[in-house]
Amino acid sequence: MFNYYLRLAAISIRRHWGLSLIMITAIGLGIGTAMTTVTVNYMMSANPIPQKSEQLFYVQLDSWDVNDPFDEGQNPPDQMTYTDATNLFKADKAFRHSISAQAFAVIEPQDPDLLPITVNARANSADFFAMFNVPFLYGGAWSAQADTNKELVAVINRETNDSLFAGKNSVGELIRIDGNLFKIVGVIDNWQPTPKYYDVTSGAFNDTEELFVPFSLIAEEKITRAGNTSCWKPSGDGMAAFLRSECIWIQFWVELRDEQEQQDYLTFLDAYVEQQKQLGRFERPLDNRLSNVMQWLENQEVVADDAKMMMAMSFMFLVVCLLNTVGLLLAKFLGKAPEIGLRQALGASKATLFYQYLVESACIGLGGGLLGLVLAWLGLQSVAAMYGDYMKDLTSLDTTMVLLAMLLALGSTVIAGLYPTWRACNVQPSQQLKSQ
Amino acid sequence: MLTMKNICKVFQTSDVQTHALRDFNLNVNEGDFLSVTGPSGSGKTTFLNIAGLLETYTSGEFLLDGEDVGKLNDNGRSRFRNEKIGFIFQGFNLIADLNLFDNVDVPLRYRGFNAKERKRRIEENLERVGLASRMKHLPSQLSGGQQQRVAIARALATDPRFLLADEPTGNLDTDMAQGVMSLLEEINRQGTTIIMVTHDSELAQRSGRTIQVKDGRVSEAAAFNQKAIA
Repeated sequence: MFNYYLRLAAISIRRHWGLSLIMITAIGLGIGTAMTTVTVNYMMSANPIPQKSEQLFYVQLDSWDVNDPFDEGQNPPDQMTYTDATNLFKADKAFRHSISAQAFAVIEPQDPDLLPITVNARANSADFFAMFNVPFLYGGAWSAQADTNKELVAVINRETNDSLFAGKNSVGELIRIDGNLFKIVGVIDNWQPTPKYYDVTSGAFNDTEELFVPFSLIAEEKITRAGNTSCWKPSGDGMAAFLRSECIWIQFWVELRDEQEQQDYLTFLDAYVEQQKQLGRFERPLDNRLSNVMQWLENQEVVADDAKMMMAMSFMFLVVCLLNTVGLLLAKFLGKAPEIGLRQALGASKATLFYQYLVESACIGLGGGLLGLVLAWLGLQSVAAMYGDYMKDLTSLDTTMVLLAMLLALGSTVIAGLYPTWRACNVQPSQQLKSQ
Repeated sequence: MLTMKNICKVFQTSDVQTHALRDFNLNVNEGDFLSVTGPSGSGKTTFLNIAGLLETYTSGEFLLDGEDVGKLNDNGRSRFRNEKIGFIFQGFNLIADLNLFDNVDVPLRYRGFNAKERKRRIEENLERVGLASRMKHLPSQLSGGQQQRVAIARALATDPRFLLADEPTGNLDTDMAQGVMSLLEEINRQGTTIIMVTHDSELAQRSGRTIQVKDGRVSEAAAFNQKAIA
């Protein structure tokens, strides 16, 4: 009977194409608007590394001013000082640990015909690549010894490799950065975690960096530091003074495989801070934190409040569209009361008719869902056009979103169709047959 | 075959009670061609609706084909209508969006016949009413008489025990009415029990048996009755 109902629905939709088109448009607009905002929110709040997000922890220590707490005392500072980061790094208490900061570089190609290129860079320790599952096209990460020995090595991304080496395997090649020759040890394949969880302080939805070099080279001034820096004390003049200062500018992550390791690491952090307190630092109460990836993204409010508000408003718009659809379906189905009465006379039970008209509602919902997908795609393209690169990774419909859109359209239209269908199926057949 | 004992039907509005049928008694035997006449508002159509299980009754006893239909739920009544009753209406009541084939197909779908059986029955019954060549036409492309013939084909497609006809010639001119009446007579001769509500005394005379309904009761047998009311 399902195929029969589908056929009847198609005939009915064709016969009343104007009314059906209005309903499909109403549902399509509602679904399109809702899915545009849902997609942006979904991409913003997606788990960027689901396979190990529970094992990666962002480390926070409260080294801030006792008289003017960071974030009004709600949270410890969102980055770390050079002193603390390097102390924790040297202590080597975690299974893996990554010390990193944003940097900036100008690469001077060997080919004199090519112009220098400015790149966003990251200064990080070797574990960074293994911890964050960075995929390599050629070569691999540098070694821990390279960090210690402050070797001039680099990893570049695929795009940069395409620009400088026409996509060939460039491992072993040299590139000149700020006058120093760096040896390429690896080329990263396409990699764009969304959100860019490992450093949300410089834009949670920015592109990943084009160049990666050892963190230890910052102190050597072989690479230029960049990114957000906050200080509560004057930092003094010169790089050495800056590194000794209480300025925060470093992201420190650890990989801890189980609860015991987490507990041990927290104990270590507490002991470290107590030790620093004896040296006159860390005047605020003990507040060391380990946040896993999703906790950290939530803490940093990666999904902006206005995006949530937009999503709520778009769902209210969807409800308005569905209420209109309820009215239109009611008009359509009650207009079919004589046919419903006749079908009852010919042997259709109320349950059978209910099923038939729900299938018709679902078909309209399906049409609305398809239109909604097109409108959602257009909406996302508009968002991408308005906000540019910042939003481009948030404005694509994946399979989950397409399925969600269709389910939302079908489900909401069937729900919207329940009352009109119920009303239609409760017509008194004898009255309808006489009046036809 | 159809037995009504003291059937009453009361329509209740907020402050008015209307007695459409009062102690309505009737017995219809297999193979009867019964005409039901009476003035407007006498209760003929209410009787037909109750007989066709399209309406419930307030009190009394109603046995159809030996079954107490008052105990049936909505599904049971639907199944009973589909399997045992065929309807013919004054306004033909064809579904405008469906062609003749699909119109006749409607009760067969609810009966659950397979495609082959449905096709056989549709073609056979459209052939019987002389419209086999027009099965892909829409109802709007037919005359009134032809539309009523399609309705008869639809009513017959499920091989019902009863045909209930409510003013089947009411919307037809004389020639078409005669044609439809002849068709009903032929169907009755082949064994189908027919109960026909009509205002037309000439048509009523052509049926085997006539009752007159007045003020919701079977008041008297008309002069042309050939059989006594049980």
